[in-house]
Formats: sequence, structure tokens, C-alpha cells
Amino acid sequence: MTLLLAEDDPELSRQISAWLTKSGHVVTCHANGDDALNTALRQAFDAVILDVNMPGKDGFEIVAALRADNDLVPVLFLTARDSVTDRVRGLSSGGDDYLTKPFAMEELGARLEALNRRYQQSATGQRRIGEWILDTRQRRLRSPTDFIDLQPRECALLELFLDHEGRTLTKKFLLDKVWDIRFDPGTNVVDAMICRLRRKLDAPGHATCIQTVRGKGYVFKALS
Amino acid sequence: MFSKLFPDHTSSTWRLVVLQAITIGTSIALCLTLAGWALHRDLDEMGRKVVLDDLGEHAVFYEQEGIAGVQRLFASGQHNDDDVLRLVSADGKVLFDHHPTAAGNFHWPDSSHLRKLANVKGLVTIEHPENDEHILIGRVVLNDGAILWYGRMDAADREYLGHIRDYLWIAGIAAAVIALIPVFWYGGQVLRPVRSMIASAQKLARGTGDARLEAPSAVPELREFAAAFNKVLDRNANLTLELQAANDHLAHELRTPLARIRGNLEAFQDHTIDEAGREAAARGIDEIDRATTLVQTILNIRAGEHNALMLHRERTSLRTLLESIIDLYMPSAEERQQNLHLEAETDSIMEVDTQRLVQAITNLLDNALGCTPKGGDIIVRLETTPGVTTISVLDSGPGIAKEEMEQIWERFVRGSAAAHSSGPGMGLGLSLVRAVATAHGGKTGCRNRDTGGAEFWIQLRG
Repeated sequence: MTLLLAEDDPELSRQISAWLTKSGHVVTCHANGDDALNTALRQAFDAVILDVNMPGKDGFEIVAALRADNDLVPVLFLTARDSVTDRVRGLSSGGDDYLTKPFAMEELGARLEALNRRYQQSATGQRRIGEWILDTRQRRLRSPTDFIDLQPRECALLELFLDHEGRTLTKKFLLDKVWDIRFDPGTNVVDAMICRLRRKLDAPGHATCIQTVRGKGYVFKALS
Repeated sequence: MFSKLFPDHTSSTWRLVVLQAITIGTSIALCLTLAGWALHRDLDEMGRKVVLDDLGEHAVFYEQEGIAGVQRLFASGQHNDDDVLRLVSADGKVLFDHHPTAAGNFHWPDSSHLRKLANVKGLVTIEHPENDEHILIGRVVLNDGAILWYGRMDAADREYLGHIRDYLWIAGIAAAVIALIPVFWYGGQVLRPVRSMIASAQKLARGTGDARLEAPSAVPELREFAAAFNKVLDRNANLTLELQAANDHLAHELRTPLARIRGNLEAFQDHTIDEAGREAAARGIDEIDRATTLVQTILNIRAGEHNALMLHRERTSLRTLLESIIDLYMPSAEERQQNLHLEAETDSIMEVDTQRLVQAITNLLDNALGCTPKGGDIIVRLETTPGVTTISVLDSGPGIAKEEMEQIWERFVRGSAAAHSSGPGMGLGLSLVRAVATAHGGKTGCRNRDTGGAEFWIQLRG
């Protein structure tokens, strides 16, 4: 993806662009809102990452200017403010997603992927995992010989894993996307749900397809 | 001084009405008694003078013209209806007697009365044997030894007094009605503004809206009070804004450096091939996330305690909200072999900050799951009564020690039940629950269940 990153903190900007470049994206960086807007208006990007508080125009103003120019490029806000009001303001000003600092780089990657997929309108009703097919409408995994029924959250969780196959997904990201919860509950609710999903998916005696990555989260790897 | 006169719940209008009634009633009674007594005395005096006067006049006429003179004078005085005249010769023969029918029942003075005559200016009062009328009688011994008696009944005086009394009553009642004007004034100018102040103060106490006390038509003292009170509110609102800004600033200033550290730790974790190094980086990342949550929680609690927590209220079905929380916790409860149920017979649609309320309820549920043993029940209950919605979380844990009932809601206090649980709590969960409830204008509380375990509840208005 070609990405525009507007972040005034030099260290954070360096880390993010380094990680994104390493992941195969092309990143243009700006530390100032006015420059970022000029570049965004001149050049086409697959997605734009905006810090909310910046010298010059702030993130909300940049999005408003882009939308006024009929530019529908997906926009993800990075912010140090964790309040619903700010989040709602960000989304209602035309932003597509909202990530609070500090965050996991993998989560930034997953969110960018999701934005890009939504932007390209490539959602399908059925997904394939080896010989299994996930039917999200019936919430059922089917193989030529068998089927597994899934509960709504299990299905949403599995779908999310399939959307981001091979990427480590943080608990925070899973809670946000599957349960619409943006704080960390004390009880291991995500672990318990993953365990339940594993019990349904994994064939006895085989390695699991949802792996735990210590300190990071979970990654889905379809077993061949 | 009068505060003990009334039951506590009597409104001040009624107190004023009662006090006014007592004052006016006493005044009227005093007026009637005093004026009646004074008039009575004056009329009595006047009656005496009239009798003595008439007696003298008739005596003079007798001396000059004999009985005919007395008769002529009496007839010209037109006293026929209520005056008595008797002329008795020295040998006891009645020479002239005028006795109206009205005076027929009075006993004519006898010897006992005669003895009194010397003491009371030559007059004697005789009572009517049946009613309380009186007749005032005097006598004079004439030159030829004859005795002239003259009497006057007090019927006319009594009638006159009666009229006066009636007028006094009318004046008293009119005065009482006029005296109600202060009551109406009090109701309109004092009580109504006070009531509207109470209403706005209650609204403020609930933390809804930024209303101010208003009393445009109230008495100056109340207007002054409202202005002073509003000044305090303005200052509080400014402090709240400052607190919000400071919280925002603090969170912002802390989150950016934490993000840098986290990014570097992640990079280290990705690039090192040393297993111990990766493990250390993972632990560091965990700690940073925990610290971020901790700081945010403390700031939220502080803001909530001071009514400065910014809420993003949305119309929400509480039953649906609880169902989704149960759905979130069900796998964990099943893993721990605990029975988690939702009891919600009715629904309640309310304007709440969904994220914060969910966080408060999940905090209660985290505690419940942490302290309930295998096989134990955990119930989440939604109850609605008119005006109040209660969300309770009931566990089957060890319950709450009596001395901890209030303490556990304070920051950084972990109840003794938490010692049995596995969670790494900081003792902030319940204070966040309380902060969120307070920010919503609600209350929290806890009690031990009769069947064992504890019940924690969040009560919301509406």
C-alpha cells in the first residue's frame, strides 16, 4: 500500500514508518498538518494515518478538507486521547478508524488492512480454510463430509482471523472488533473464547490453527 | 422559637397560615373582649346617669305639678316600652304605676334591695328571673313623704352592644382576609423561587445539565443568594473544565512517550533471536499496557468522583447490553465451571455511556468470577421500577466483611475476598464502578446475600 503518515513525534514517526516499510508498504511522512494536507491533496494514497494533535492543521481538519475535496481515501487517526467523545468526533469528522497510543504495530497493520479491504469492497459471504468453507450467513463451517455450527461471536472472531490471516491480532483489537469493547476486562474473556473456538476447529492431535504469540496476541495460520 | 410547633414535614406556607390564623384569631378575640367590656361599662354609666337624671326630673315635676306633672313628663319622654315608673304615697298607696309588659317579670325591689341603695349611688340592679336582662332602678323620697321609683331596662343597650359586636366581627373577618395577602405574597415571591431553586439544585446534584439558580421575581435576599450560589457553581464548572483539561493533558503527555517505548520494545522483540530477550520485551510490553490502563482508570475515577467524567450518552437497551456482556463472559465462566445467568424480566431503554457502563459492569463481573468457587452461581440481574433501574451482580463467593462494606469502594483498597481471587487487581475496580455510576447520576452499593455470597448493584435513575 502507499501510505501517508502525519505524526509530529519524530521517534514515533520513525518507528511507524520503519515498521510499515518493512511490512512492504511505501510511506510518505510529514510532521506538520499543513504539509500533510498539501501532499494528500496532490497525491493519491491507499490510506492516510493522521495524528490528531499536530502543528498546523490538526487531524480532524485534514479529514474535513479531504472529504470536502471528495477524496474518500481511508483515514486512520492516531491519538493520545482515550475518550469516546474524541473517538466519535474523529469518526464523525470523516475518519474511518481510530487507534489510541500506545498501540501495537501489528494492530496498526491489521486496521490498515481492514480499511483497505473495506475501501475495495471485496467482502464475500464465504471463506475457505483448507477443505472447510466458512458460511458467515449460516454461521457454519462446512466440509464435504461434516459441519460445525458456530455461535455469533465465534463466527465473527473466526472471520476476523481469516481477514487477517498470518497477522498477529492483539486482544485489544479483537475486543474492539468482535465485542465492541474498548477497554481491557480483567477476566481472560478473550483467551476463554479462543480456547472454545480452538476446541471446535482443531482436529485432535494436530497443531492449533490459532496460535498464541506471547506479549502480542493471536495469529491464525491455516493448516495445510 | 416556633420550630417545635410544627411537624417536620409541614411546609412553610402552612406554618405561615397557621401562625397568621393564631395571630388574627387572638387579635379579634382581644378586640371583641376589650371593646365589649369598655362599651358595657360606658353604657352602664350612661344608664345610671339617665336613671338618676329622669328620677330628678320627675321629682321636680312632682313637687311642682303633682301626679299630673309626673304623668305628663313621663308621657313626653316616650319611655313607654322599657322604662318603669311608680309613685307611692307616704302611706304606701300606689299613686301612679307604669309597668310595660316587658318589665312584667322583674321582681320589684324589696327590702333587701333597699338596703343596697345607699351604696350604689341610690340605684339597684335587678336581674330578670329567666334571661340575663337587667333593670336599673332608683328611688327618691319626695317632700310629702311619697316615694318615686324610676327604672330602666337594658334591652336597648344590649341590642346596641349586639350590633357593635356584629360590626367588630365583620371588621375582624375582613382583617383576616387582608392578612392572607402576606401569605400569598410569601407563596409567590419567596416560596416559588425557593422551590425552583430546590429543583435546579436537585438537578445539579444529579449532575445533569449545567443549569443555574434563577429567581428573577424573588425577594432581594433570595436573588443575592442565587447569585452567590451561581458564582460557586461557575467556579465549580471552571474547576471541572480545568480538571478535564488537566486529565486530558496528563493522559496525552504520558501516552506518547509510552507509545515510543512500546514501539522500541516491539522492534526489539521482532529483531532479537535471543529467547530470554524476547520474553523480557513481551513482559515490558505487558507492563506498558497495564500502566496505560492504570493511568487512564485513575484519571477516569478522579474525573467521575468530581462529576467531570465526560460521558458519551446513547440510547441503549440495558437488557441487550447485559446479554452481550454475558455472552462475553460465558466462555470464561464455563472454563471455570461456574453458572452464569442473566435475570432480566423487563428491559430498560436509557441514555447511557455504553462503554463506561459496560466497563463498570464487567468490573463487577471480574470480581464475581474471581471469588466464586467451581460450581457456584453468578447472576446478573436487571430490575426496573418506575424511575429506577438497578443492575446487580450476585456471586457465590465468601461475601463482604461488615467493616469493609464502605471501604472497598475507595481507591486502592482490595477487600479480603480479593485475597482469595486469582486476579492481579489494583483495588481500583469498585471505585471505577462508583465513579461511572456517579457520573451517570446513579448510586452503587453492596450487601451480603442471605444464601451466601455478595450482591453488588448499580442504580440508575430513569
